[in-house]
Amino acid sequence: MTDFAYLSVGEAAELIRGKDLSPVEYTKALIARIEKHDRQLNAFLRFTPEIALEDARRAEAEIARGGWRGAFHGVPYGLKDIVDYAGLPTTAHSKILQGNVAATDAAVAHRLREAGGVFMGKLSTHEFAIGGPSFDLPWPPARNPWNRDHFCGGSSSGSGAATAAGFLPAAIGTDTGGSVRNPASMCGVVGMKPTYGLVSRRGVLPLAFSLDHVGPLTRTVRDNALMLDLIAGHDPLDPGSANRAAGGYTAQLGRGVKGLRVGVIRHFYTRDMQADAEMVAAIDAAAERLRELGAEVREIGTAPLGEYVACNRVILTGEAFAIHERWLRERPQDYGALARERLMAGAFVRASDYVNATRLRRKLTDAFHALFAHIDLVVTSSSMDPACRIDDPKAVEYTYARQSRAPFNVTGSPALSMPAGFSKAGLPLAVQFVGKPFSEALMYRAAHAYEQACGWSGMHPAIG
Amino acid sequence: MADGSLTVDEVRRMAAEIGLTRLTDEHLQQLLRATHAARARREALPFGSLTPADEPAHVFSLDAGDER
Repeated sequence: MTDFAYLSVGEAAELIRGKDLSPVEYTKALIARIEKHDRQLNAFLRFTPEIALEDARRAEAEIARGGWRGAFHGVPYGLKDIVDYAGLPTTAHSKILQGNVAATDAAVAHRLREAGGVFMGKLSTHEFAIGGPSFDLPWPPARNPWNRDHFCGGSSSGSGAATAAGFLPAAIGTDTGGSVRNPASMCGVVGMKPTYGLVSRRGVLPLAFSLDHVGPLTRTVRDNALMLDLIAGHDPLDPGSANRAAGGYTAQLGRGVKGLRVGVIRHFYTRDMQADAEMVAAIDAAAERLRELGAEVREIGTAPLGEYVACNRVILTGEAFAIHERWLRERPQDYGALARERLMAGAFVRASDYVNATRLRRKLTDAFHALFAHIDLVVTSSSMDPACRIDDPKAVEYTYARQSRAPFNVTGSPALSMPAGFSKAGLPLAVQFVGKPFSEALMYRAAHAYEQACGWSGMHPAIG
Repeated sequence: MADGSLTVDEVRRMAAEIGLTRLTDEHLQQLLRATHAARARREALPFGSLTPADEPAHVFSLDAGDER
């Protein structure tokens, strides 16, 4: 069977449209790959080959009749298991919700279904998108395809692992404090947390209402832009949805970065936290590469990383505890230890502290957005360290907090993590691009230019 | 209450007051650690820089469609 594992969404779409690739054969190839390798990676919490084959056969028949729906028709994907897919349980990787069968699709799942995508299954997460990696849950944690003894990031763990492992060309994750960008960083793929409100959260189990974002993980920047084109747009049934036009995210690809004003927030990873030396070198090299490509690059400053992170966590834990309070009263023993401890951090957040954190959030956000009067794009760190071992709880706890993603959940800014090289141990390094609200097209333009210049996205793990 | 002075017994009482009555001793140890961490995060925030006019990031608002 031909190896379709690392076809991009764009490549697959073109082949399918030209009838040079059968969606059924493509899907069968990925099913075989998942069946062979996922026992070692646990990317899927619920693998659904029967649904995938039904979707693929439908797509093939529609395309044969001349009914090509667009660039996602016949292309496989997966959903983090906090996203509703009608008829399947949304478990959040938790015993608490094992029987929680979704009646309808989440807005994002509906859009991918309408685009003719081939649904491959529900992907592993940290419990309730906060507690992981955990070994005391009904399902094991996902592992890193670059080295299965290492953490693959989270909480969209399966989304990152499945994409990197060539199980899927695209997956959907969610991000409240960095949970799309963390697995993207650890697994060497591209993860976008779009502007708050750009992608509907309807049908996605909330972690913290005002910080939750839905976003795509893919192996290439172009694929990520294609995916955002499919899932972005106003949803009147999501109270946080931005009522504005969306789309056109591939429009600026190929235009390069000449003349773009890039601000590098170095103090996040060299002063506020000291990142691993290989990570610092990779981020600095990425900024330098953008300069070589014609961008105007200079160092800029913003509020200390710790202020953003503390603001994120006070708001997050307060909102999350409100959601989980009843279950924590009635079924505390049914949570894994990590989720229970992280969620209980909100138990005694005072109302005044929550409100003051949201007041500080406005000040941080206004000040951060003001930077964009003088720059077009921010470059900074995502993770401070390459992936640690998954069986070392102290290392997981230490590295879990060493990140600079949470600031952009506070500000609601679009933020993208992408590969920036590899450590001497062969684990992915990553850089984060951040833009002003709704500037995703420009961010993809810059990320694409960097990707084309460096070629990291063409490297894949040797699994199996 | 200072962080260092918070004990498991105090956390048990505080938990009971908000209905968290089914926590085991292990759970209470977790709650104690979580509460210390939460208080440290709160202490890291410069709330003193806020003026009375600083509004929350998300405030209640209405649009024209809400006119009655």
